[in-house]
Amino acid sequence: MNDSDRSQKLLDQWHKAAERGLRGKPLASLERETPEGIRLTPLYTETDLDGIDHMGVPPGITPYVRGPYPTMYAGRPWTIRQYAGFSTAEASNAFYKQALAAGGQGISVAFDLPTHRGYDSDHPRASGDVGMAGVAVDSVEDMKILFDGINLGNTSVSMTMNGAVLPILGGFVAAAEEQGVPQSELRGTIQNDILKEFMVRNTYIYPPAPSMRVVGDIIRHCSGEMPRFNTISISGYHLQEAGADAALELAYTIANGKAYVETALAGGLDVDAFAPRLSFFFGIGMNFMMEVAKLRAARLLWAEVMGTFSPKDPRSSLLRTHCQTSGWSLTSQLPYNNIVRTTIEAMAAVFGGTQSLHTNALDEAMALPSEFSAQIARHTQVILQEETDIPAIADPWAGSYAMESLTDQLAQQARKIMAEVDQAGGMVKAIETGLPMRRIETAAARKQARIDRGTDRIVGVNRFRPEEEEPPEVLRVDNSMVRENQQRRLAEIRASRDEAAVQGALKELTQAAKEARGNLLDLTIRAMRLRATVGETTAALEEVYGRHQEQARALGGVYGEMWKDDADWAALKETINDFARREGRRPRILLAKLGQDGHDRGVKVVAAAFADMGFDVDLGPLFQTPDEAAAQAVESDVHVVGASTLAGGHRTLAPELVQALKARGAEDIVVVVGGVVPKQDIPELLEKGVAAVFGPGTPAMESGRRVMELLGANRSG
Amino acid sequence: MKPIPPERYIDGVRQGDRRMIGKAITLLESRAARDRGLAQQVLDALTPHAGRGLRIAISGPPGVGKSTFVEVFGHHAIEQGHRVGVLAIDPSSRLSGGSILGDKLRMPRLSSHDDAFIRPSPAGEDLGGVARRTREAIVVLEAAGFDRILVETVGVGQSETVAAGMTDLFILLALPNAGDEIQGIKRGTMEFVHLLVVNKADGDQQQAAQQAAHTLEQALHLMHPPEPDWSVPVLTASAREDLGLEKIWQAVERFHGMMQASGRMAARRREQSLAWMWALVREGLEQRLREHPAVNLEQGLLERAVKAGRTAPAEAAERLLMLFSRPL
Ligand SMILES: Nc1nc2c(ncn2[C@@H]2O[C@H](COP(=O)(O)OP(=O)(O)OP(=O)(O)O)[C@@H](O)[C@H]2O)c(=O)[nH]1
Ligand SMILES: [Mg+2]
Repeated sequence: MNDSDRSQKLLDQWHKAAERGLRGKPLASLERETPEGIRLTPLYTETDLDGIDHMGVPPGITPYVRGPYPTMYAGRPWTIRQYAGFSTAEASNAFYKQALAAGGQGISVAFDLPTHRGYDSDHPRASGDVGMAGVAVDSVEDMKILFDGINLGNTSVSMTMNGAVLPILGGFVAAAEEQGVPQSELRGTIQNDILKEFMVRNTYIYPPAPSMRVVGDIIRHCSGEMPRFNTISISGYHLQEAGADAALELAYTIANGKAYVETALAGGLDVDAFAPRLSFFFGIGMNFMMEVAKLRAARLLWAEVMGTFSPKDPRSSLLRTHCQTSGWSLTSQLPYNNIVRTTIEAMAAVFGGTQSLHTNALDEAMALPSEFSAQIARHTQVILQEETDIPAIADPWAGSYAMESLTDQLAQQARKIMAEVDQAGGMVKAIETGLPMRRIETAAARKQARIDRGTDRIVGVNRFRPEEEEPPEVLRVDNSMVRENQQRRLAEIRASRDEAAVQGALKELTQAAKEARGNLLDLTIRAMRLRATVGETTAALEEVYGRHQEQARALGGVYGEMWKDDADWAALKETINDFARREGRRPRILLAKLGQDGHDRGVKVVAAAFADMGFDVDLGPLFQTPDEAAAQAVESDVHVVGASTLAGGHRTLAPELVQALKARGAEDIVVVVGGVVPKQDIPELLEKGVAAVFGPGTPAMESGRRVMELLGANRSG
Repeated sequence: MKPIPPERYIDGVRQGDRRMIGKAITLLESRAARDRGLAQQVLDALTPHAGRGLRIAISGPPGVGKSTFVEVFGHHAIEQGHRVGVLAIDPSSRLSGGSILGDKLRMPRLSSHDDAFIRPSPAGEDLGGVARRTREAIVVLEAAGFDRILVETVGVGQSETVAAGMTDLFILLALPNAGDEIQGIKRGTMEFVHLLVVNKADGDQQQAAQQAAHTLEQALHLMHPPEPDWSVPVLTASAREDLGLEKIWQAVERFHGMMQASGRMAARRREQSLAWMWALVREGLEQRLREHPAVNLEQGLLERAVKAGRTAPAEAAERLLMLFSRPL
């Protein structure tokens, strides 16, 4: 009997045995199709490896499927890099020092939203958000406090900044210089991935074209002056958090990377002068196998893409990545389960061969991590590195029929999506058509419908949901204190600096933008040294470029489609139709995103779901103030305003909205709040006039039903 | 909730109370039978205070940039000292009955301006409904002191005709696809376009936009102008970059001046009123016909007979009309 006869015979045996075990159900009933369009089957065999080209290539060898380095973690473990930022520079500084002492190996700075959007802390639009989701940085003085006592010459610093990249990088450079560390010695990464901001996160400032110029200037400056600094962290993480499946995340991230390479090349740089300093950032969710495959496929695809630019330095084609476990996958119900989720995700990132990793704290879905939860998160990685044998073997999943097949299939799916982008004329053009956003939104709405229907299961949300929820202890930021603190420091700086020199430097910045000459980062560094503020340098360019405002519209139809045959769904639609007949119009709801937080997955999914239920849904522009939202509510004469806040601003913003409505004689408009609201804040919100709070994990249909109850209770005839 | 008395609506609107303006439009949009009497009362009281402004329709294919155009055009108008009312009719799919009203997303600056009032409305199930509600909303906004009314509609189906029937000036936005000749702009549409704007003339589309403008201009030469002394300007613009708006503004002013001086403006509105009256008559007749007891009684019978081929359609129609016109 030859080999193939033998394996056929064994397979037949398996079939029979498997079918016996299924008691009449067909074997195919165990297969399922993933959102990526890949069939998962219970058995993978040697034949699944047919036609896979990368088999047999060891780690550290192109196309790097098995890892960028030959010995991977056996030689050196991944870097534990926890993203964190707390209200003020002082508080963040203390946290970083403590984390470095406790095993952290690099710093990762989270900024607050006004800083992201280039507003100083005393800007009227900033009020609710100062110091809420990260540290407020207005000038070099804040930067110096942030890194006080931390040697920037030997600590790698990662900064999550995309909008206000120029003043933040400029301020970082200036602060380091004043520490005595020259630019050439700075190590770390600035996220600087503006394309994904236009796609999902909306934390941009200028329109796409000038934004790409900024990216180009930063690459150019760094390739000359800061050779050890990563100029972009091309981020799939936020695409996944916005609802993209693994194939979409993979394809759009690699395509974004390609667009940056093209921008730098168009600026006259040699590919090897900058490509080795491009790094990546992927999100790691709960689909363990798929996530491991994703990182392996990412390296393969990047090597393919870079091959087309004919680099001479092999490092140019080598994808190095940071990973973060998915914040979206965490639940506020039964929060201690989040430790388990994060551990599984961290293992996927490690099996996938990441270079550095952030593990989420268990309360990350609710608020900034407490000291207790931050320590568990950090130790999760230390345990993986030091207590297990996982790091001893490079790419231990290599050769697994299933893993190699998934890697290959996922790469194929991603290539199809990338071809679609090429057809549109590249990523910048594709973004203009809105197609990538529509694909991600569709994926998000489908996912939500699967969760709401219970086909995708989440413990604590649609499985074993607890009757009574035990709120975890969460860190609360006193926003008004932070704001006053920052405002005082701003006033001091403005009073003590050489005003004429600052104004001169700002004018030069404006001029350079107007005449499309010079390097904007060089000029910003100069202005920051002189104590110009983040807001001022941003405004200097805004004068020429304007402030971009764009938001893709939500898609109707996708959510409802998944509910077609459901009786509860039909009943809710009937309730709404009854209301419409009685009132002469449909229930109308304004969904408002308050504050400077640009994450709009939640709002869009809710908009899609509510429209499909039969509501008329008004959408507000991003970054609305409570007053603007109230004005829109009154003009559209809605029945309800649903305010979404994700970044902790709800305690200021929601009561302000209630007041603003009252001031307009519209106290009868019902206010509900959705998003990340810690349980202990709810009573306060209700007391201040909010009618209901829909916490994370509330199915859209339940919110819809509750809103209808509120409307019914509100009327008497 | 207690019903609001008509004076509150009327005085509120006249005093520019935004809450009452919003509520008045809701009242007029209402499909509930019990609101009809009150709505008519409010409308009658407001109508004498309306009519002094310029009403502009802004139409074009989905995604051409209408809302973005309204944002910048509205701003120009405000800078010239006008007050701007915007009615955006959203055609989003009504399969489920609900809709997503997203036009305002593109109007962040205008939205927060005191001299602007923006009201998006769902297109509704029937075109006649859109026409009635939008027309009446115009009256409310004008009575409240808004003197430049912008009506955004998507150029699909009959909605353009409807929008043209309630405005003084019709701006059509087109895309810079030179290849598509006149891009499927319907011939019928061209008959009431006063100003053609090729939008998105920015970035690497500038040339294509010029080309498209040229092609469109040539095509227009072969058509009948909508007004005797008006040759339709074809302009290029970028709503996003706020380019070319100056020229468009001038053309609008020129048109307005010409129409007023020649008395055509008033005449056009009179014609529109007349057409509107007849539209209402047709609508009312049809409704009454359907509600007529004798017609109701025989309708089913006759329908079956026609379907079965036992009775000729003309004969059945004649019979129904006779039943309708016979005194009860
Ligand atoms: N390049 C360019 N893009 C524009 C311009 N005007 C609008 N856009 C973009 O085109 C897209 C659609 O713009 P909207 O203003 O929503 O278009 P619309 O015609 O109102 O769309 P609907 O209401 O959906 O029919 C958005 O992405 C705008 O940013 C322009 O002048 N140039
Ligand atoms: Mg629009």
